[in-house]
Amino acid sequence: MRAQLMRRTLLSLVLGLLFLSTPAMGSCLDNYQELLGQLQKLADFMQHTSMLLDPYISIQGLDKDGLKKHCRERPGVFPSKDALQRLSRQEFLQILNTTLGHVLHRLRTLQKDIPKAQDLEKLNIAKLNIRGFKNNIHCMAQLLPGSLEKTEPTPTGPGASPSPTPISDAFQRRLEGCRFLHGYHRFMHSVGQVFREWGQSPSRSRRHSPRRGLRKGKHRTHLSSRNKRLMPREWLPR
Amino acid sequence: MALFSAFQTTFLLALLSLKTYQSEVLSEPLSLAPESLEVSIDSARQCLHLQWSVHNLAYHQELKMVFQIEISRIKTSNVIWVENYSTIVKRNQVLRWSWESKLPLECAKHSVRMRGAVDDAQVPELRFWSNWTSWEEVDVQSSLGHDPLFVFPKDKLVEEGSNVTICYVSRSHQNNISCYLEGVRMHGEQLDPNVCVFHLKNVPFVRETGTNIYCKADQGDVIKGIVLFVSKVFEEPKDFSCETRDLKTLNCTWVPGSDAGLLTQLSQSYTLFESFSGKKTLCKHKSWCNWEVSPDSQEMYNFTLTAENYLRKRSVHLLFSLTHRVHPMAPFNVFVKNVSATNATMTWKVHSIGNYSTLLCQIELYGEGKVIQKQNVSVKVNGKHLMKKLEPSTEYAAQVRCANANHFWKWSEWTRCNFTTAEAAPSEAPDVWRNVKSVQGHCVVTLFWKPLSKLQANGKILFYNVVLENLDRPSTLKLLSIPAPANGTELTLDQCSYQIHVTANNSVGTSPASVIAVSGDPGNKEVEEERVKGTEDGFCLSWKPQPGDVTGYVVEWCERPGDPLCDVQWRNLGPNTTSTVVSSDAFRPGVRYNFRIYGISTERIPYLLEKKTGYSQELVPSDNPQVLMSNLTSYSFTLSWKDYAAESQPGFVQGYSLYLKSKAARCLPGSEKAVLSDDSICCKYKIDNPKQKTFVVENLQPASFYEFFLTPYTSVGEGPQGAFTKVTTPDEYSHILIRITLPMIFSILLIMILCYLKSQWMKEKCYPDIPDPYKSSVLSLIKSKENPRLTIMNVKDCIPDAIEVINKQEGTRKSLTETEPTKPTYLYLLPTEKSHSGPGPCICFENFTYNQAASDSVSCGHVPVTPKAQPSQLGLLTSSENGPKALGKNYVNSLGEIPAGETNLNYVSQLASPMCGDKSSLPTNPPEPALCSEYKTQMAIPMGLTSPPSITLLDEGEHDH
Repeated sequence: MRAQLMRRTLLSLVLGLLFLSTPAMGSCLDNYQELLGQLQKLADFMQHTSMLLDPYISIQGLDKDGLKKHCRERPGVFPSKDALQRLSRQEFLQILNTTLGHVLHRLRTLQKDIPKAQDLEKLNIAKLNIRGFKNNIHCMAQLLPGSLEKTEPTPTGPGASPSPTPISDAFQRRLEGCRFLHGYHRFMHSVGQVFREWGQSPSRSRRHSPRRGLRKGKHRTHLSSRNKRLMPREWLPR
Repeated sequence: MALFSAFQTTFLLALLSLKTYQSEVLSEPLSLAPESLEVSIDSARQCLHLQWSVHNLAYHQELKMVFQIEISRIKTSNVIWVENYSTIVKRNQVLRWSWESKLPLECAKHSVRMRGAVDDAQVPELRFWSNWTSWEEVDVQSSLGHDPLFVFPKDKLVEEGSNVTICYVSRSHQNNISCYLEGVRMHGEQLDPNVCVFHLKNVPFVRETGTNIYCKADQGDVIKGIVLFVSKVFEEPKDFSCETRDLKTLNCTWVPGSDAGLLTQLSQSYTLFESFSGKKTLCKHKSWCNWEVSPDSQEMYNFTLTAENYLRKRSVHLLFSLTHRVHPMAPFNVFVKNVSATNATMTWKVHSIGNYSTLLCQIELYGEGKVIQKQNVSVKVNGKHLMKKLEPSTEYAAQVRCANANHFWKWSEWTRCNFTTAEAAPSEAPDVWRNVKSVQGHCVVTLFWKPLSKLQANGKILFYNVVLENLDRPSTLKLLSIPAPANGTELTLDQCSYQIHVTANNSVGTSPASVIAVSGDPGNKEVEEERVKGTEDGFCLSWKPQPGDVTGYVVEWCERPGDPLCDVQWRNLGPNTTSTVVSSDAFRPGVRYNFRIYGISTERIPYLLEKKTGYSQELVPSDNPQVLMSNLTSYSFTLSWKDYAAESQPGFVQGYSLYLKSKAARCLPGSEKAVLSDDSICCKYKIDNPKQKTFVVENLQPASFYEFFLTPYTSVGEGPQGAFTKVTTPDEYSHILIRITLPMIFSILLIMILCYLKSQWMKEKCYPDIPDPYKSSVLSLIKSKENPRLTIMNVKDCIPDAIEVINKQEGTRKSLTETEPTKPTYLYLLPTEKSHSGPGPCICFENFTYNQAASDSVSCGHVPVTPKAQPSQLGLLTSSENGPKALGKNYVNSLGEIPAGETNLNYVSQLASPMCGDKSSLPTNPPEPALCSEYKTQMAIPMGLTSPPSITLLDEGEHDH
């Protein structure tokens, strides 16, 4: 029992170090508007289906009339736009960060089903974009008031979670992959819209005003386990 | 062993006795039936695995048995498979048998039963079937779950070209299910109400990620499918081969077949099996494998290479003798020793391939990148080879490789060694030529020689020796040493004859001497130059053979004629040669090359025979001459272009073309029509003589405009199109006109000067001054009377003979007051013709508007005027209607200035007009004015003055009367 506790502590320590190193890897912009603009642009860029979904459909032979309509996002996998809009900024960043973490995990799984190098390259670029996006989320979290100490949220609660049980059926697996990517692009579209709303109305009642020139490393936005309270049903796209 | 057999036989007999007894007692034969039959499934492979055992066998008993297996589908009566399976059976041994179903096992319920029989020759009496086991049912559908739709088989892997059976299982009877292969609907066969089967034949390879087959219900969002992974046909390995390099290890290689073409590559394994030794090895690499040669001197090897993947197994075989597959290693310690100018020895060593084996080694000698010698040598361990007939001072490369001499299999790799042979004395005399000039009484000889070729030089040429031998004084020798790489020298000699010896020297020795003689006479006699036509192959030169003793000929030319260092070239030719083709990469089109052909006398003295000149390729003239025009007349002009250098043109100028443009439609004799590049038409004169530098253009038209343009032409064409020069021929009579006009102008000027000088005289003669009435003697008489104020005679003092009104409006008799003020009416007071038929007294008034011209022309006075001159004089005032108006204005103004109190009437003297402003009614008999009465009396009426009733205005008709 003691050994198990020790292992858990060590694991927590390693994860914590890794976690802390993430924002330190890249320097953050202090300019809120500029950072917000970058997040918007990146979200707009990542919402294009040509980045992931279209190649995937083509590679897997799902570009048939009878199949295309089944390649639609399953409700509940990604938060809906309404659900995202109802979140506070800190919560939004938390959920976004968590969801993108799951997307990264899923993309690694999908990578096995992509044969051509050029398509793999696209997928790798998409992964790099997501990593960069996550880094920007951390930077944005630093600029928001009421930040908590932890920046990296625990992947809990609803959101894009890894496939709970591996699907042995190749056909179902590729359909699920297709639906997942469809949901991902839709999600990024919603994210872009939320960021755009941030730019349009910087001080909505439920949202916190950004702080400028906050000292780095302090008051980081913590997307904590309280997000567990967020109800998955609220996120379902209508 | 025999004891055991006896025991077994005894046992069997006993058993049979027992069996006989039993059968007699129970009337039932003893059967060996399969028992404990169990059926399991392997969905991935669509296999049914059966296992059972036979219990009735005695201990340690082994019997060959046959089992009949029946498999039924859906219902037991529908037997789809019957197979007899033979095997050796032991007591309680678990027997296994598998069956692969073409239909996915999930698609239908299967049932299995079996029975057995002894199939052993030792107990033929037991060869009858046992009873069937009960049906063992395999129903996978019941464990599928509650999904509404299933499609099978899942993720099946097949080779392209295979036949595949697919089925769907629907849980609902109401939904219509449709299935698609890559979007194309499939039509199947209904196995039962819930199951439909599709038979796919000869499935193709579609993509790396597999073929999508899916089914969906008409209603709802249910879709289920499978991915059929179709791989490409697994090919057998190609080019399977084994060889050894050291008789210790065999290296086997092959080319693997193409891959399966699937994303999840089917793992391929390669196994090497040698049948004589029975050894087997799993190869780690995909295309090669090593095999340890057995130390027991196994000579023959029979290999089987088996390539295997999930779907297929492929094998290739190879049988060979080890010594026939020896691929020796490359020779080592390769050296070239004892290198002289022409010989070298090559030595090397080889790796031993057995105690008694002999190697065949091949030696190749390379010079300048080409194989120049090739030799084969038998070698045990050490090799040696002497290479002969080498060139001095030359780089060579020698290489050697070896193979098994007894059973050739493969050459080893080459081992190479480079070397350079030693130098030798130059083998050939340098090719020498000279150029002789006479400068200030001395003979300046420029010697040229060509560098020796590599083969001739036999090493690096260090210097050239030039020995001058005075032929007049043979004992006098002079030696000059010129270091390489000079290719000539200049010598200043006296007029004496010399013989010059030139040798080339390297570090080893001297070449043979090249001899050339120089005589006091340079031999440059006048020789007429001939033209020669160059071709792509060069200049073909020929000359007349010389009658005397000629040791040879030399053709000399310059490769850069325009350059002061013209790069003298020469070619030595034999005495029997009278033609040669000179070609050079340096020859350029449009450059004139001059060739001189010399004969070489027996004394080695060259003398000029012929001169040739020509172009390798003629071009059109590069520029046109500057043409001067002279002797321009009305009918011709002369053109000349004497400064034009035809020799500097890039071709032989064969003549000139003169283009003449004119307005004349026809060309003049000697010319013909030509169309220029701008499509304009002109006349063209052709001047065929290239030496002609003048040309007279004749038969021209006077006072005509011409344009001309002159251009030379070569055999290729004419020079560049240039601008035309304009010329206009003079008029034919212009010179005459000049001769007449000039004197006339001079004469007129002279007369004018004379007139000016004699103007006083002319005045007196032609227009004397009008006498001044103030100065008249009459005034003196008046002055003497009572009114001293009067200076001019008053009208009252005059007694007119008659008053005639000559201007009267026609039709309307208006009073003078009605007259428009801007148009004054004049009353002319003239004496009637009748009353003045003869000369009367002359009355003169002061003339306010005295017209000088009129007065000049008409001598107011007393000069009689002839009636003839009258019309023209009258015309001056009356021919135009405007005349009276203009004059009238002046009159009014003049009259207005006269004080009214002083006078009531003013008389204006005016030349009378016989016509009253109407030319059409000219009087046929104009009244002749009386002498000295041309000044008619006129009366000007002041503005606003009421005309007296007695005065009426007459119209023209009345006036005429």
